This record gives sequence, structure tokens and C-alpha cells, in this order.
Amino acid sequence: MNSKRVFGRVARYGLLGALCLIFAFPLLWMVSYSLRSVALPPPVRLEFFAPPIAFENYARVLGVLPLLQYMGNSLKVVALAVPLTVLFASWTGFALAQVSRRVRVPLLALSVALLLVPAPALWVPRFLLFAQLGWIYTFAPLIAPALMGTSPFYAIMFYIAFARIPLDLYESARLDGAHPLTVWYALALPLARPTLVAVTLLSAVAYWSNFVDPLLYLRSEANYTLPVGVQILEQAIKANWPLLMAGAVLMAAPVVLLFGFTQRLFLQGQDSLVRWLR
Amino acid sequence: MTVVLAPMRNRASYRLQIHLLLVPYGLALGLLVFAPMLYTLALSFTEYDIFSPPRWIALGNFTRLLSDSLFWTALGNSLWFALGTVLLRVAGALLLALALNRDGRAIEFARAVIYLPTIMPEVAYALVWLLILNPGYGPLNLALGAVGLPQFPWLQTEFTARLSLVVMSGFELGEGFVLLLAALQTIPHELFEASALDGASRAQTFRRVIWPLLVPSLLLLAFRDTALSFYDSFAPSVITTETGPYYATFFLPNYIFNKSFGLFQYGYGSAMTVCLYLVGLLLIALQYGALKRGQASDEL
Amino acid sequence: MLAALFVAACGTTTTAPAGATPAAPAALRGEITFLIGEDPNGFQAFKDLVTAFSKVQPGVKVTLNNVPDGGEFLKRLAADFAAKTAPDIFEINYRQFGQFAIKGALEPVDDYLARSKVVKTGDFYAAALEAFKFKGKQYCIPQNLSSLEVYYNKKLFAAANVPLPKNGWTWNDFLSAARALTKDTNGDGKPDQYGAGIAASTLRLAPFIWAHGGELVDDANKPTKLMIDSGPALEAFKWFVELQTKEHVVPSKADEATESSQSRFQHGTLAMFFQSRVVTPDLRQTIKDFDWDVAPLPGDKTTVSILHSDGYCLTSASKNKDAAWAFTEFANGSEGQKSIVTSGRTVPSLKSVAESPAFLNPAALPANGKVYLDMAPNIRRVPIMTTWLDIEDILNKEIKRAFYGDATVEEAAQAAIKGTADSFKQNLTDLGAP
Repeated sequence: MNSKRVFGRVARYGLLGALCLIFAFPLLWMVSYSLRSVALPPPVRLEFFAPPIAFENYARVLGVLPLLQYMGNSLKVVALAVPLTVLFASWTGFALAQVSRRVRVPLLALSVALLLVPAPALWVPRFLLFAQLGWIYTFAPLIAPALMGTSPFYAIMFYIAFARIPLDLYESARLDGAHPLTVWYALALPLARPTLVAVTLLSAVAYWSNFVDPLLYLRSEANYTLPVGVQILEQAIKANWPLLMAGAVLMAAPVVLLFGFTQRLFLQGQDSLVRWLR
Repeated sequence: MTVVLAPMRNRASYRLQIHLLLVPYGLALGLLVFAPMLYTLALSFTEYDIFSPPRWIALGNFTRLLSDSLFWTALGNSLWFALGTVLLRVAGALLLALALNRDGRAIEFARAVIYLPTIMPEVAYALVWLLILNPGYGPLNLALGAVGLPQFPWLQTEFTARLSLVVMSGFELGEGFVLLLAALQTIPHELFEASALDGASRAQTFRRVIWPLLVPSLLLLAFRDTALSFYDSFAPSVITTETGPYYATFFLPNYIFNKSFGLFQYGYGSAMTVCLYLVGLLLIALQYGALKRGQASDEL
Repeated sequence: MLAALFVAACGTTTTAPAGATPAAPAALRGEITFLIGEDPNGFQAFKDLVTAFSKVQPGVKVTLNNVPDGGEFLKRLAADFAAKTAPDIFEINYRQFGQFAIKGALEPVDDYLARSKVVKTGDFYAAALEAFKFKGKQYCIPQNLSSLEVYYNKKLFAAANVPLPKNGWTWNDFLSAARALTKDTNGDGKPDQYGAGIAASTLRLAPFIWAHGGELVDDANKPTKLMIDSGPALEAFKWFVELQTKEHVVPSKADEATESSQSRFQHGTLAMFFQSRVVTPDLRQTIKDFDWDVAPLPGDKTTVSILHSDGYCLTSASKNKDAAWAFTEFANGSEGQKSIVTSGRTVPSLKSVAESPAFLNPAALPANGKVYLDMAPNIRRVPIMTTWLDIEDILNKEIKRAFYGDATVEEAAQAAIKGTADSFKQNLTDLGAP
């Protein structure tokens, strides 16, 4: 009986371990290959680390393309777009939580419907539009979606969080003569901190990883972001896998580390969504 | 941001201000979503090369699409990819959520790891898969070789290249997984217990208790993954397979991108975009029907 | 490289007779952008060129943008026109400028050329200049007259005791060398060393069709369809495909995906690699442990190669055409072309530079660089069309299918003809033919 239970435990941990290995494999392989010496011939058998460990690949890949500069550009985009996303998504959510049903229901329905618009359907018209506005060559087209909270999804997340706050609280704040922005800032946002953090993290990752928009809108090397930079790296050093993987790690590492430290905060946005769906 | 503003005692004024907070959202939606949609629809009836003004050709683009075999290939590939990834992601997320719906540090760690492919930047993810699937020294074939199984040129034959992209995209099921996990956790324990007391088997419990409660989440997931699949096919098809071999991983967004941006055929690209909307709607309607029917038959 | 540049720069100033200092051109001002599609070596060469130009025209700021990959480059360039952010000058292959010229996006350069004191029509190889003519106008200034040739690894030839490729060698000579040089060195039943590496593409197949007496299209001046489904063209197509499907002297599909032919050549496991001049800087940098050289394409009924030429095109939307022309002029004067040539990347389009030691540098590999100049009279090119890229794209895919055994040559030829029919029609419509 006892040994059967031990066996069950071992089997369960074994399965769990295998599951983790499968899902972590792309990341693990990326890191391990980025440390493979360029001088070594390609592997002929499965090996996770082949000595010598070549940390110098990272220095070398930075010599091929100014990836640090691209990283700086990506950070700039994130630094501009994320606060705007939080601002506008939370305003929207805040307002939705307090307006009448007549306004709220259609707007929410619309927001959910907009989640179903395939992004590629907007490539051509948005491009022509931004061209008309003369925004191409700047970061503006990359940041513009932040004006709608990046995704209606984030506005909905904020709405759900704000709708949980009893209406009486809003009401009494109003009766105290508070301006809506004061209520939003001093009362609502602190109560919706988990959502605030989740939206910040999710949108930061989305802007950091965005590939297609920079591909379309960035026209000069000086303002390339990292995903475009790494794609160019691929074309420039075709099949120099260790260096290429070093570039990929540079792009993935900040996201993975951020996720590693904050994964609970990351994942809680969905929680409230489910409750709302029911 | 310290807000020092005149006190608003007037209720109507407060309500007005609240509505004003919706204005940026409305304006941005108008500018970034609705105007582009209408523009696309209008352009789809024209020939437009950006060097001269759009020329009205009525249904010309659409009749041209009918006989454009590459369009049908791209459309077929996109459908294939959409159905494949939605199925993999939704089913995978559901299975994993059911399996990992319990407490424990190891379980919690595993949940985070399952989210990893989802969180990875798409370019990095597509690149590492190109290496993983390398026919000669990619780890997948090396592993197959090590256990004596035949190796395969995954990205070099049409069927497996398409399948590879579906699978690599299928691993990005983190959001659905977390959503379903959260949905499972909202199911009160008494329901399980009651069902168990009735002498129901695990499968019966799942069908009677869990499934009906999950349907809204599953629907939302399937819809969203369908819409996402059109975007998700782009980076891997550009980076991992270069839309090949032949046209095996050439998807509708690739064709829209090439015709519009590469060949000055913005009208034709817009007509394809209109088709993209229609296909998306059709898929969503089909899934809705299927899941609703599934639910109905369960309730019988 | 900088030292060489400096020497080149001094060279022109010191040789100019006093009093007639030629250029001292009118000082220009402003900013121009120049878009190129180069690998890192080419990018560096153009950076050096821009630096050299800024010494002559310090008032003009040239912003150089590089989009390395061929396919991405074109989409990027075309989108630039849509975004009204087109560069003032861009570098493009002669196969690709037609689609821009027909839209009126390019500035004809005939007048500039006629007025220029730096560059004259007669200084260029006619084949290169002519490739950038469209509807009777000169659109771009070619920077090079490169062609497809065969790079080979001398060490592998010596080890296998195979005679080196030489002028006048034939398809049969090539095939027997390729057979002898394809080897399974570790006895696992699969070759680890290949005799040859050649991309399955239109640009590689075309010279074989011509050498065998066939044609790619029905009428080079007013093409209406591909001609690859019969006669000598089909025979050459078959011969080309059988290098892989029957002879197995080039890497299979999986092997090519595992490691590209170029990489294999660089690592000494592939004996003959078909490429144009553009690969030279890369080979110079990466190959350390064997000697290599270049030979002309093997001949059949005739010896033919195919033109690889890139030009500097001015855009009609440019706001500073004088500066853009001044740059183009400088780049294609002897000083500018010498600057680029030190990188090894180009076969200069100026006869004087091509025949100078700057190009035929005996100290630099490949030793037999003269091959490119010897080949010049035998270079042919694909037709100039507004839709050539579409056609090439479809044909490439079909060639690949046949080459890697996924379709018969006949099937591929038929599919290519059918698939490209609309593009041929569109071209005729564009050109306003009846």
C-alpha cells in the first residue's frame, strides 16, 4: 500500500517534470545553444552543454548589430505606451463601471466583439492612415493603440475590477464633492491594484515583443526595436546559430525574468474575467 | 498625478465628467478600428496603387479573387492553421487545467512553466523552433535518432511544415490555461461532492457539473484564438518557414501583406482583408454552433 | 580598408592636372537618404562610400539605411513609397526596378548623365547600363557588372585528384568533377561532402537554359510567356534538376536545410559553389584553411552567364535631386567605385576601374577575378518587366519543387507557365501594348 503510494507520487512528479521540460524546452535550448562555442561543429548527438561555455557570444552578437540601441528603443516604446495604456484602459473601465446600463451594455458588447477582429485586417488601412498623418518614421504608430487601452481586453479587465467596488463608495465620494478624476485616482485605482499590475505587465510584454508594427512603421536603423533587430540579425548572420540564439536570449530574457518574479500578478487578470463571464 | 480640481457638487456634472472619460476610448476606437474598417471596405471596390487616386472597379477585385488560385491556397492554409491551433490550444488548455487544478508548490511551478511559450517574444520563439526542427542537428531529430526512431525533415515537406507551425503555436496556450484554471476554481466544491454522493463517475461529474460551467470560457477562448490565429501565423511563416515549402505555409495575411505593401495592390489587398473578416466570422459562427449543440446534447 | 580608401582618394586628386581640378563641384547642402539591401560586409562598404562622399560634399548629410534581406527589402521599399517616406536614392537589382519605374516613382537620369562631367555613358559596360533602361529611358546607374560563376575549393580538387575548372570547361567536365567530389567520408551511407551547391532558382537555371540553346521567354523584348516546357530549354531544365534528383551531387532538401551550400563551401565540405561576386567578402573573411578560386560557368553549346547588376536609382519624389545625383555621380565615378571595390563585393561597372589593380588585385582572393571581365561579352539577362518579380517568384517555387523531387520537370514547367500567365498579361497592359 505504502510503496504503491510512493510509486504514485513518483509517477506524478515524473509526469509533471516531463510536462515542464516540454514547455520550457524552447527557452532552455535557446539559452544552451547561445552558450555554444562558434568554433564547434554542429552537434551530432543531443547535448545540452558542450564545453567550452562561450559567454563571449553575447559580446560578439552585440558587435554585429547595435542590439543594445535597439533594446533602448524597445524600452522607449514600452515606457511611453504602458502608462498610456493603463491610463486610458482604466479611465474606460472606471467610466463603464458607473454609467447607466444603456450606455454600458452596448459598449461592453462592442469591446468584446472587437477582441475578435483579426489584427492583420487592420494592417493595410492603418498603414495608409498613419502615412496620411505623416507619422511614419516615428514611434507614434507603435504607441497609438495605447490610446484605446491597447486592447479592449484591458479596458474590460479594469471595468470588472472597478465594478466590484460598491457603488455607494463612488456615490459618497461624489457627495463629498470629489472630481471623478480624484475618485479614480485616490479611491478606485488603489482598490484595483492587482488589475493595475496585471495590465501593466501584460501590456509591457506585448509592446516589448511586438514584431509586425515595427516591421511596418520603423524606417531607419536609428529607431529599430529589438524584434526587428533580431529578425535583421537572422538575415545578416544566416545560420550562425550560437550568435543568433544569443540575440534571441537578449530579447526573451527581460520578459522571462519579469514573468518569473511576478507570475502570480501576471496571471490574475484572467481570474476576474472568468467570474465576470459567469 | 495630484488632482486639485474644483469640487463638483452637481450630480449631473459628475455624470457628464464620467462620460467624458469614455471619450478617448471612443475616439481611439474610431480612429484605429472603425475608420480603418470602413476604409478597407471602400478600398476593396477600387484599384489603388497609391501613386494615383483609387479607381472604382465595383466587384472587380472579388471576381479576380475567385480565379486567383494562390488566394485559395492561402485561405485554405489559414483555415487549416486556425482550426488546428484553436483545437490544440483549447483542448490542451482544458486538459492541463483539469490536471493541474490542485494545490502544491510543484503544481504552481508547473503552471508558470506552461505559460512560458506564451510569454516568449514571437520572433525569439519562431527562431528557436527553426533550430529545434533543423533536419540535421536540431534536437528533435537528434532525440529521435538517439532512440532509434526515423528522423524527419519537418519544415521541408508541405504537410509537416504546416503541422509544425500549428504545434509550435499550439504550445502558446498559457492564457487559455489560466482562464480555464480560474474557471474551474470558481466551481463550488459542494457540486463535486454532491455529484460524487450521487454515485456519479468522474466522467459523469465532468459532463454534468464541470462542462456546462466551462462552456462560456471555452467559447470565449475558441473565438479569441480563432481571431488570434491569423496574427499568430505571420511571424513563424516569415521566420521559421519563409512561407514554404512551396506554398504550404503561405497564409492569407502573408498574401495581404505582399500584395499591398510589396506590390502596390492596396485595393486587392483590401478585398482580401474583407474576406479575412468574413472567414473569421464564419469560423466563429461554426464554433458557436458546435459548442452550443454540444451543450444542448449534454443537457438532454 | 580605410588606408586603401585614403590612397584611392589621394590618387584622384594628385593625378588631376593642376588648374583643371575636375570636380571642385558646386557645394550642395541638405540631407538625403540612401536605402540599400546588403549583408554586413556590403553595408560596411557603403558606409565607407558615404564617408568618402562627405569629404567631397560636406554640406550634404547622407543617411544610409540597410535592409539586408532581398524579399524584405523590396516590401520595405515599396511601403516607403506608400508612406511617402521614399529614400532619395536606393540600390536595386535590374530585375526589380521595372515595377517602380512604371509607377513613375523613379527619376530618369538621361539628362543628368548627359550633363555630367564625372560619369559618361561610354565609361560603363554597355550590358550593365542597358539593363536599367525602361521604355527608352535610363533609370538607374549600375554600380556593377557581376555574373554567376563557380567558386571552387582547390584543396578538395587536389585531394580527389580532379583537374581544376578552367576556361572552356563543359557541362560534362563539371558533372564528372562533381561526381568525383561527392563523398561519403564516414561510411553512414549519406554524403558528407558534396561536389556542388547551387540554389534551385530562376537566376541559376537561366544560364544553363541559354547555354544549351534554349530560351527562358518567347521574346526578350516583348515577352508573353515562359518557354521552358519544350526543346532545349526543357532539356537543360532536366539536366539541372537531375544534378540533385539523379546524380545527388548537390545537397538534398533536408541537407540544404541542415546547412546551406554556402556554409558547406565555407566549411570545406562542398567543392563547387555557384554564386555571383557578392559572396566574395564573406568567403575572404571566413575561409582560413584552404585555397579557393573562381571559374566561369561550364559551357554547353555556348558559354553564357547571367547578369547580376545593382543600380543607384533616384526617386521622383526626392526633394533634393541635385544632392542625390551628386552622390550617385560620386559613387559611380572612379573614386566611388574604387571605394566599393576594396570591399571585394563588386565587379565594377566602370571599365577603367574593372581593369585596374583596384579590382584585379593580385594579392586578394579570388586570384582569377578576371573571369568576371572575360565573361562580360557572354552575359545575358532576364527581360525587364513590370511584373518580373512575380514571375520569378512563381518560377522559383516550381524549380525548387522539381529540383527536390516533389514534382517532375514537366509538371513544374507547366505549373510555372500557367501560374505566370497573368503576370505576363499585366506587363503588356502596363506597357500599353495592343
